[in-house]
Parts: sequence; C-alpha cells; structure tokens
Amino acid sequence: MNSSPSIDNLIEGVIHAIGDELLPNLGDSPKAQATAAMAQSVLQGVRQMLEVADQNIALDHNEMVAAFRQMADDLGEAEGDAADRVRERCAQYGAVAEVPAPPDREAIMATHLELGHALEATLPDLDELIRAGEERGQTALDTLRAHLAQRYQRDAAAIIVGEGMIGRG
Amino acid sequence: MDDQLADMVARLHPDAEGVDIADFAPIPGGFSRETFRFDATVRSASGTETLPMILRKDPPDAVAILQTSRLVEHELIEAIRANTSVPVARSYGAEMDPSVFGEAAMIIERAPGNGLTSDLFNGGRDEDQVDDVCGHLCEALVALHQADIATIDPNESLSDPRNVGVDVSSWDAYMDSTLEYYISAYDEVSYDPAVMVLLDSFLTLRRTKPRPLPLVPVHGDFNPANFLYADGKVTALIDWENSRVGDPREDLGWMMMMDTLSNTSVMAHPADKGGFLGYYNELTGLDITVEEIGYFILFGTANIAVPVQSAIKRRQAGEHRELLHLYLLQPSAHGLAGMGQLMGYPGMV
Repeated sequence: MNSSPSIDNLIEGVIHAIGDELLPNLGDSPKAQATAAMAQSVLQGVRQMLEVADQNIALDHNEMVAAFRQMADDLGEAEGDAADRVRERCAQYGAVAEVPAPPDREAIMATHLELGHALEATLPDLDELIRAGEERGQTALDTLRAHLAQRYQRDAAAIIVGEGMIGRG
Repeated sequence: MDDQLADMVARLHPDAEGVDIADFAPIPGGFSRETFRFDATVRSASGTETLPMILRKDPPDAVAILQTSRLVEHELIEAIRANTSVPVARSYGAEMDPSVFGEAAMIIERAPGNGLTSDLFNGGRDEDQVDDVCGHLCEALVALHQADIATIDPNESLSDPRNVGVDVSSWDAYMDSTLEYYISAYDEVSYDPAVMVLLDSFLTLRRTKPRPLPLVPVHGDFNPANFLYADGKVTALIDWENSRVGDPREDLGWMMMMDTLSNTSVMAHPADKGGFLGYYNELTGLDITVEEIGYFILFGTANIAVPVQSAIKRRQAGEHRELLHLYLLQPSAHGLAGMGQLMGYPGMV
C-alpha cells in the first residue's frame, strides 16, 4: 500500500477535478451543476469520515455496550413486558466485549514509510554484493522480493478497477 | 483555433490563396498529446484541394508525461517517408511557438485506414486480414530497423532525445548510459517506497545485459494500437514521439508486452512464418530469442515507467491538479506487479 499519495490525497484530487474540469463545462443544466457540487460535498464528507471512522466506530461500540449495562441498573426491578424485553436486551448486549481503541493511524503510516525507505535503501547494497560475487546477497534479495511480490499482488487487487486504460481505445 | 490553423496551413502551402478549416474536433485516446482532427480546404491558382489533417499538440510542461519535441517528430517522420518503405502519414510541419496553439504543435496527414486494430483479433470483422497485416507490419518494422541512422537522423536528434546523457557510440555505451539514466532518475520518480520494484528492475537490468546487437532507429512505442491498416496492408505506423536510436529488441519487447495487455495477438502472426518474431528473424537473420525479448520487455517498461512515475510524482508534489496523474496509479499498480512478475518474484504468476 502506498503511504503517498494517500486515500485522502486521491479523494481530494477528484474534488479538484470536478471543480476544475467538470463544473465549468456542464453548461446550463441546473441539475448537472447541483449534482457535481453535491458530489464534491459528499466526497469531502467521506474525507472527513475516513479520518475518524475507525475511532468513532470503536467509541460508539463501547458506549452502546455501556449504555445497555447502565439501563439494566436504571430499570432495576421495574415490572411489565416492556421492562422484561429491555432487561433481556441489556443482558445480551451488555455482555458484548468492549473493543480496544484503534491504533494511531498517523504513527502507523509514518513507520510504514520509514520501513519502506529502509528496504528501498537496501536494494543498491544487495546489488553491490551480488555484483561482487556474494551469493548470499542474491538470497537476501529473494527474501525482499518475496515480500514485494505479496505486497504488489495485494495492491493491484485493491486498486485496479476493470480492465484496460480509460482513453486508450 | 480555426484562424490559427488556417494561417499555419497557408504557411505550409505558399501558393495558397485561401484556406478554410472545417470539422475541427478532438480525437479521444492517448495520454501524452492532445490530438484534433480537421479538414483544410486549400484554394490556389491550380484548384481546390481538401486535406484531411490532424493537429497534435503538447500538453503544458508540468502535466506532460513525455517531454519530447514536435519538431524532431516532424523531421523524423518526413525523413522516414523520404528514405524508407515504412508506411507513415505525412507530417506537414511543426509550430514550436507556444503562443500560436497554446503549446508546441504539429500538423500531420490524417492517414487512411482502420485504427481500431482490435478488429483484426478475437473474431473481429477483419480477422481474415490478420496474417497479411501483421506480416506487413513486421516488414515495416524491419525496414525501420534497417534504415541508415545517419540518413534519417542527420542532426542526431534521436541519439538522446530526452537529453539525459545517453551515449549511442556503441551498444555497450548505449545500454550502460541508459541504465545509468534510469538508476539516477529513481529519486525523481519515487513518490513512495512502494515503487521500489523499479529500482530493483534498473539494477537487475544492469547486472544481466544480453548479447550486443547493432543499434538501429526504434519506434519507441511499437504496440497494437499504433498502426492503421486497410486491405491487408499497414497504411501508417503512427505516434513517433518516443522514437530514438536503440536496440531493435526494444520494439519487439514492447509489442510483446502490449500485445498481452491489449488482448491482441500480433506476435502470433503471420502464423505460417512462425509468428511475428519468427518472421522478423527470417527477414533479419538476427535469431532473437524469446529470453532476449523478455529482457527488453523489462527494459522498455523501465523506459516508459521513468516519465510516467515522474509525472505522478509531480502531481503529488502539487505542481498541478490534473486528475490523469492520480488515475495513472491504477495502471501503474498493474505495471509494477508486472515488473515483479518479469523478474521472477517468488509466487508471482
């Protein structure tokens, strides 16, 4: 996975393209103009949601579990079918395990980038070893390549949409 | 735009008494240049003639993927037209003053023939022509590769068209200097360590050079989409902007790779000659092997990867806001995986 451009960079690029290339050329159709502007707004919303989505989902999860536990205490011995149904849900969902807070994405991305640069810097050194006749340099290169092979296959599967290239017939 | 086109066509036809431009329209497809079709009607004392033409225009510098010269392309096309049997569309002239069309541009003939070459394959409407067309395409490539470099490139514009220090004084010098260019350009193209397969490929190419062959003029983007055909013959090889002096196996390697990516089968024809490579070897006696072609698939991929990845990096650095360069991440992901496959990365099939 690339550290750069990030998913946020890509969405931002689409927002700019809608503003720079599409909106000025949509003609007089109010619906087309509004749709393009709404598309920009939705994409900006996605950018903002992506920043906090994992963290908020975990927070929501733990707060919902806590709410069920608290509601069970709040109802106490209240009587009636409705109270029984709530207590039943509280017993079921108050028992759900809490989830840990997601790791700091920025810190992970920074380390990801640092590790990548370190592997990148290793390639010329392995090349130097191989050219000097050190066979173990080739073995180490094969190890690095085995990692890259898995990574490129994952990346290609994640990013490629359809076949061929738009604009190439 | 019509006025500027009419002025240029008039300059190219000194006897013209008037020029009318009609049906100006963009031609979709292609990433490196903007192309437009139009008809120019030239009125002169000898009569009136309507010429089908194409305007081929550079994009702005920051956005450009390949930084090449329209004047060099014009001179090359005309030299090939005058001195070889390679079918090309006539180039009428280049306008290098960006104030005229917004950027440097050239005007070429809109050659006859079908450019939808997929019609030749996979049950397409012209499948019966495929052996004849591919045979002629092979003969055209051989004619290009056998052309005298000094004759078609008297100004040595094709020796180092990117101006990056390529030395064509010998095959070894060409390969070493080109690979040095790739390796030294890595910092300019690496927008993220995830593209390190490029660096691996450059270093691997340097360690595993094949046997030398004489340097020749190469097309530089010889692929299944870059020719027109009609009645079993190639009517024009098109898109000469990446031409240069190089190894003949570069064109064969690029065709082999693009043939696979395009789901065409140029390399399988003409079938009765052992396919494209078999016929090429018969015509040239070079006995080029599939293994050698494999090396030059990687070499050619590196050649195009440098400007493409560099363009993505300029977009990422904020030099412009074109979406194309972000979109290129998708085919690029495919290309990077393909490079790993070409180098035999473990587990990549």
